[in-house]
Parts: sequence; structure tokens; C-alpha cells
Amino acid sequence: MADEAPKSIAEEPDKADRGSEDRPVMAVKVYAPFQMYFEGEAYSVSAVNDTGPFDILPRHHNFLCMLVPCELVVRPVDGKPKKIKIHRALMQVEADKVVVFMDV
Amino acid sequence: MRRPLEIRADEVSIRSVVSLTSALESLSSMQIAKTKNKVLISNQFFDEVWNIYKQIRVDSLFNFGRQEDEKPIDKELLILITAKGGLSGDIDQRLIRKFIEDYDETKNDVLVIGQHGALKLKQAHVFYTYYFELPDGDYINVDPLMDITRKYARSRIFYQNYESLSKQNIKSVDLSEVVSSKGRVADLGTLDDTMVSERTYIFEPSSYAVAAYLENSILRLTISQFIYDSRLAQVASRFKAMSAAKERSEETAAELHTEYNRAKRSQVDTRLKESLAGLKKIRAGGAEL
Repeated sequence: MADEAPKSIAEEPDKADRGSEDRPVMAVKVYAPFQMYFEGEAYSVSAVNDTGPFDILPRHHNFLCMLVPCELVVRPVDGKPKKIKIHRALMQVEADKVVVFMDV
Repeated sequence: MRRPLEIRADEVSIRSVVSLTSALESLSSMQIAKTKNKVLISNQFFDEVWNIYKQIRVDSLFNFGRQEDEKPIDKELLILITAKGGLSGDIDQRLIRKFIEDYDETKNDVLVIGQHGALKLKQAHVFYTYYFELPDGDYINVDPLMDITRKYARSRIFYQNYESLSKQNIKSVDLSEVVSSKGRVADLGTLDDTMVSERTYIFEPSSYAVAAYLENSILRLTISQFIYDSRLAQVASRFKAMSAAKERSEETAAELHTEYNRAKRSQVDTRLKESLAGLKKIRAGGAEL
């Protein structure tokens, strides 16, 4: 797990655009049985589990954890960071693919 | 023969039944499309979670998330998922019939979801211990129901299953068996390094905690899936019932219309006969004069 995510990309759009070609990305999907909250490529995902806040960056080790109620932040390749309120969720990270199962 | 005005009044009321059943049929048809779509979307979600659970499950016996020292009630809890109200065809009646075949007062406690089922149980003089409304929205909070199932040694669920628009089945399954069988890996030889295990994954807080959490999640999802499936079967059954009612009322309206025409014709004929008879009498009278 990475300790610190880069400062919000949306706050510095120029920098994000400059580095976007080489910058590694990961496929992120955040969804509940009947609703898709986010699906697309992102630079990082931040959330909170029992241990505390954490960030997921590309090339992260395979990871499975339960999230505690928090605000999940996805920093997509395009657009502003997306904040999603989490009540209960499971996160799986495998081969640059992050899936967050909400309400499970 | 009835008077044409009476028949006409009956036909008008039957025509309003046709309009009503037709509207309900269209409504059910829209509900089916909407519910079916939602069930398909949710199935993809459930399958992905099942797939993770299948790989990391550590306990071959599903224990409803109970702690080892917790002593469950030595009875089987029978859970019935029924419709909110009437107008759902015969599907609830069929479910209650199947339930009564298995029900034993001394061995079972009953939990009913849906007002229609609760009403049918009362009519059948079956006492239920727990009752829940059938939820309306997409998000179903099944936690209160899980707290109850956890208290029992065994739980069996009676639900309605959608096979097609014309066929809906009544099914009953052992909750622990269905969770265990879904979580069972068919062929252990297929397990490889890509599977979710402590060798290939980091678990937080621990693999056991995640597995225990998933066990609860799977029970939650299983119950939710049965509720979604029942909802779909209920709207399909309502559609079937409304189509049949519409067909019957259309036939009745057509019969009444024919009867009305006959009565009207007969009335005209009678009047004509009376007029002719009167005319004859007048003519006969005139001849005498």
C-alpha cells in the first residue's frame, strides 16, 4: 500500500495533463447491486479500513480488505476526483484492477 | 329474457373492468422489464462476490456467522417470501400450499415477508413468529432478518422463482446448504497461484476476518437475491393473472353485447308484433263497421 496519494489532481490540472502519458493508471470499478458509482481509469483510490486511511496506486500488490464507513476518493484520469460515501464495502485489488463492492 | 337496458349497464361495467385489467397488465409488463433488468445487473455483482468468497472460504460448514459458543435454537426457521398485497395471481397461494406440506408446529418457527402471505397464513390458521414488510426500493436491508436466522440451527426459505413470463415456480431451499454449495469449489485441482489466498494476497485486517465478513455478506446477498427473484416472479404472475382477467372480461363484454343486441331485437320484434296485431284489430274493426 502506498502511504501518501499525490495531491488532488483536480486542483492542479496542468500537472496532471503533463504527466498523463507516462503515468501508470489502473482500472477502477465502484458499484452496488443496482448502481454503478464509478467505472473507468484512475491514478489512485483512497479509502479507510480498520487499520486507518490508505491509498491504492497502480502496481499495488493483490489486496483484499473490508472498508469502514468513510468517503472513498477516486482520482480519475479525466475529470475531478470523485468522492463516494461508503457505508459498508469490500475492496479487491488485483493486477491494476480495483473493484469496490458496496453494501455487501 | 333480461331487459336491454340492464344488459347495457352490465356491459358498461364489464368494459370498465377490461380497461382496468388492461391498464394493470401494461403496468405489470413495464414492472417486469424494469425488475428483470435490475435482477440481471445485480446477478453480475453477486457472481463477482461469490467468486471471491469461493476462493477464500476457510470453513466447509456455513454457520451463519455464529460464534463457536453461541447455542442456536434447535428448530428449523421457515422463511416465506410473499407479495405485498393481492393482485399477484395464484403465486402466493401456491407458496402457502407448499409451505403447509412441510410445516410442523413443533419443529418449525415461521418468518413471513409480505403482507399477503401473512394474511394467507392467518386464513390457514398458521401462527407466524416474525413478520417483515416486503421492501420496495432497490436497497434491501436484510440485517434484521439475518439476526433472526443466526438464532436458529437451520433455516429454510420458500421463494418464488421466475422461469419465464408464463412460468413461475415455487422453490424451497436450505439456506445454509445453498450458501455452502455456492461457495464450494467444484474442482480443487483448478486452484492455482492466481487464486485468492494468503500466498497471493494481502488481507486487512486478516484473512480470517475477511472470510468471516464475507460469510455474512454472502448470506446477506443470498437472501437479497431470493427477494429480488420473488419480486420478479410476483410481477410476472400478476401480468399473467391480469392478461387472463382481461381476456375473460373481453369475452364477457362481447357476450353481453350480443345478448344486448338480441334483447333489443326481440324488444323491437315484440313491439312490431304488438303494432301489427293492433293494426289488424283496427282493420278488422273497420271492416265490421
